[in-house]
Amino acid sequence: MTPFELVEPASLGEAIALLDPEDAGVRPIAGGTALMLMMKAGVFRPTRLVSLRKLARLNARIAATSDGALTIGAMTPLALVERSPEVARIVPVIPRAMRRLSNIRVRNVATIGGNLAHGDPHMDLPPLLIALNAEVKVVGANGAQAAERMIAVEALFTGYFETVLAKNELIAELRIPPQGRSRAAYLKVTTGSAEDWPALGVAVALESEGSAVKSARVVVSAATEKATRLKGVERLLAGATVDEKMFARAGDAAAEEAECMTDVRGSAAYKRELTRVYVGRALRQALNSDGATR
Amino acid sequence: MATSSGQVGTPKDAKVGGAKVGSQIGRSLPRLEGRDKVTGRAEYTHTMRLPGMLYAKIFRSTVAHGRIKSIDTSAAKRVPGVYRIITAEDIRTVIPAPYYGPAFHDQPILAVDKVHFVGEPVAVALAADPHVAEEAAQLIVAEYEELPAVFDEVEAAANNTLVHEELKPAGTFADLKHLKGRKGTNVALDFKLRRGDVDKAFAAAAHVFEHTFHTQKVLHLALEPFASIADWNERGVTIYSGSQGPSFVRTEIARLLGWPENRVRIKVPYLGGGFGAKLYIKMEALATALSMIVRRPVKVALTMEEQFYTITRHPSTFVIKTGVDASGRITARKCEVYWNGGAYADVGPRVTQKSGFTASGPYDIDNVWVDSYALYTNLPPAGALRGFGIPQLVWAYESHTDMIARALKLDPLEFRRKNLLREGRPQATGQIVRDAKLDAVLERVAERLNWGKPLARGNGALRRGRGIAVAIKAVISPTTSVANLTIAADGSTTLYCGTVDMGQGSDTAMAQIAGEVLDVPAESVRIVPRDTDVTPYDMGTLGSRSLFHMGHAVRLAAEEAREKIKAMAREVGEPEGSNIPLPDLFKKKFGMQAGNIVGTGTYKPDYVPPDPATGLTDKVTPFWMCAASGAEVEVDTETGHVRITRLITAVDCGRPVNPKIVETQISGAVLMQLGFTMFEKMHIDAGQVTNASLADYKIPAILDVPQAMENETVDSHLSTGPFGAKGVGETATFCVSPAIANAIEDACGVRLTALPLTPEAVFRALRAQANKPLADDA
Repeated sequence: MTPFELVEPASLGEAIALLDPEDAGVRPIAGGTALMLMMKAGVFRPTRLVSLRKLARLNARIAATSDGALTIGAMTPLALVERSPEVARIVPVIPRAMRRLSNIRVRNVATIGGNLAHGDPHMDLPPLLIALNAEVKVVGANGAQAAERMIAVEALFTGYFETVLAKNELIAELRIPPQGRSRAAYLKVTTGSAEDWPALGVAVALESEGSAVKSARVVVSAATEKATRLKGVERLLAGATVDEKMFARAGDAAAEEAECMTDVRGSAAYKRELTRVYVGRALRQALNSDGATR
Repeated sequence: MATSSGQVGTPKDAKVGGAKVGSQIGRSLPRLEGRDKVTGRAEYTHTMRLPGMLYAKIFRSTVAHGRIKSIDTSAAKRVPGVYRIITAEDIRTVIPAPYYGPAFHDQPILAVDKVHFVGEPVAVALAADPHVAEEAAQLIVAEYEELPAVFDEVEAAANNTLVHEELKPAGTFADLKHLKGRKGTNVALDFKLRRGDVDKAFAAAAHVFEHTFHTQKVLHLALEPFASIADWNERGVTIYSGSQGPSFVRTEIARLLGWPENRVRIKVPYLGGGFGAKLYIKMEALATALSMIVRRPVKVALTMEEQFYTITRHPSTFVIKTGVDASGRITARKCEVYWNGGAYADVGPRVTQKSGFTASGPYDIDNVWVDSYALYTNLPPAGALRGFGIPQLVWAYESHTDMIARALKLDPLEFRRKNLLREGRPQATGQIVRDAKLDAVLERVAERLNWGKPLARGNGALRRGRGIAVAIKAVISPTTSVANLTIAADGSTTLYCGTVDMGQGSDTAMAQIAGEVLDVPAESVRIVPRDTDVTPYDMGTLGSRSLFHMGHAVRLAAEEAREKIKAMAREVGEPEGSNIPLPDLFKKKFGMQAGNIVGTGTYKPDYVPPDPATGLTDKVTPFWMCAASGAEVEVDTETGHVRITRLITAVDCGRPVNPKIVETQISGAVLMQLGFTMFEKMHIDAGQVTNASLADYKIPAILDVPQAMENETVDSHLSTGPFGAKGVGETATFCVSPAIANAIEDACGVRLTALPLTPEAVFRALRAQANKPLADDA
């Protein structure tokens, strides 16, 4: 690691001015858990890191609105999200997923904004947030003016460690819409140590009425280049009757649709088979009111 | 000096100062250094700094085999703050023949003319600021003329692609001398064992089975990476190093410098783990050469990632063939083992030979043929890793044993019982087996597994099964340990021994042995930190040898001191059996609080080298290590995931000196081998390790601990051991892999013959069994 400049701006305008849309050596740093790994490996060699920890706009905070929506400040550590009563009440699937997401030391430091902005397809929260139809508020420069825009988490990722964010844009806030009667599940599938990055992540959120699925969102990650919605599977599920046959059909369709890649955690062919099995299991878990997991 | 060899009895009811001996052995005394470690006070080389010290950062080869055409250091030299860039040319100005190694003098301090593996050190950047040195090292550019490379051990044995032009045995080991100057070969050692007539026995056998097994490349990954600091001047050199073998380092550095050993001082603080990685020369020669060149202290401290390019465990291919008679007796076994030693021999030839003694397993077999080959390849070097080759062998022979039992429709436990090597019978080498509790460890595990009673087999996609394995190891021999012990005039005891406490609790055990003899509490015994100027010779902290060898040396030193106390008492006119307090005794002798009693002990067991033609000898090892493991697993047949619901291990470690430490040695060894069994693997592409970091190479963590892990020792007393004890550092690693693979077959009918047992491997085997092999993408 070579010497670099570390700045800690107190205002958002200042922070954005310190970022450089053209210089890949200048990056914002939140919890730093991912960035430090890249710096140690020499993959990222910064000239300047812009710390976000003094920015009030991005503060750690979790708020629920009366209609059941959640807003979470970008700098909120994952551990706070994990332990928040509001989160547990509105989207219990998130604290459930958190238990096997990295480890307690990382969760105490890593932030929800950094988790999304990093664009790492092996992260566990992005597929889940996509399934929950979450969006992020992004702040950036528009000439001399600060500009804000909302981006669906689904639209955030463009490729392997790539996002739509400009180098001088920051995620300020995460918004999770009211979940109504939707039920969700996330399954992390590892093929090495239980603490390894997933070989496959599957997130599903669905609404059902009686024995029929009204609508479903199905997302796979880790096995694919980026967290990806399987829209073909979702179409298949809409209106389908909930039974074992449906789980199997959905799994087959998911294996067909997901573009799995080979890496040290498994071959593409094997990850397709995992997708086939785990999409069915995730659906079963989401629909299972006692939330039992296997 | 008290010297002993071979048979040593246990002192019974010996008395010192009137008190009964017997209180220190068998105490679960908490580790003496534990408090210093958890409060951050313990010293480690990795965090040490000397005044005026420079940091070295290594530039490494990017090709697996190549001739160095040029090294361009110009950009690196321009980095502000860089002190100097060093290549092999500079090293040779201070050490003309810069090659080291315990078995072969084959490893250059920095690559000379050629590189032999991806990651081999080629040049070094030196700076007072480690970040500057790192920046500069990244700017060094080398050009290579690439040469053909060989990576697989069986391919290497064909000698079509050569790693080295000529073999250079070190001369340390008599059984390697015949290899000197040999050309045209990658075989660094070929060990042979011939007992009976296997061909005749195979011809007469009712059944003959042959299988081939593979193990993958893994590594030690001590949480404190390799670190050495050298401080050289014309009068001497002091090296601070995280080394498991300071005496060897001293000898080898003295040889490289052409100096007597007393000008070389090795100081070893605590180690953050070793597991066999930190033996022999690692960073010490480089640090010394750099310090000689710049005449300042130089520190070489590797990153976690660089450990992947330093020393690893041997991958292996084991072709095993067994003949069985109509009654289920094994009549013949032929073992061909290929050890992938990587680019430099390190201690690989010793692994090849010493593990070869027991390659045919813990069975009583009249006809045995073993060929064990150490191979050079263009991979990072391989050496000793918690078992000295035995876990690779047991993986093969205990999987094979189960496969035979199943093919013959014999109960796997019964089949083992029928063929087990019993007390008083000759082992394959010819040595008569004594004090080896093979039957006890096997029976204990079988009992805990409820062997023979029905097992809930699971339902739906989940299938359950159980498996068992048993193993034996000969401890590395012959080796020597020396210990000194002093008693001050106030009666306090100080122990000087070179055994390195790298987390295994040896300081505590040695203090218990000294305390037992002298009848003082172990926690009152001061252990002097390892320093070759002070602590006497020890062959090395390796192969579970320390408790036995150094334990005897410490016992002998303490006994000598005890005899001197008695003599002093006689001399000052005390009656026989007097229990005069030691301070009073010293005062009586010297007239004031003055003087010392010094005891010393040397231990080297009897050994007869194996006959070069047959590998046979009746004194191959001073003791046998025995282990058995049993596993219960649950296989998810839809995905191949294996959940280990129970993992049981029983070991024979003689009489446990410190039961609590023994328990942690067993659980630590089991979990380490569990990682090597289930998922750890260095992925290698054209010689390049593609997962060389803890982000991509995971070791077991708390969530990987089996649902139930049961560890125990069987009742045992080694009649030739210090207070009945044997070493136990490695024992629990032996049987974990085959026990789990055997349980997987029991659960779902598929047999895996290569480690690791990943979910994908299980899944593919299940699909192949169902005649629907998983097709890969084109």
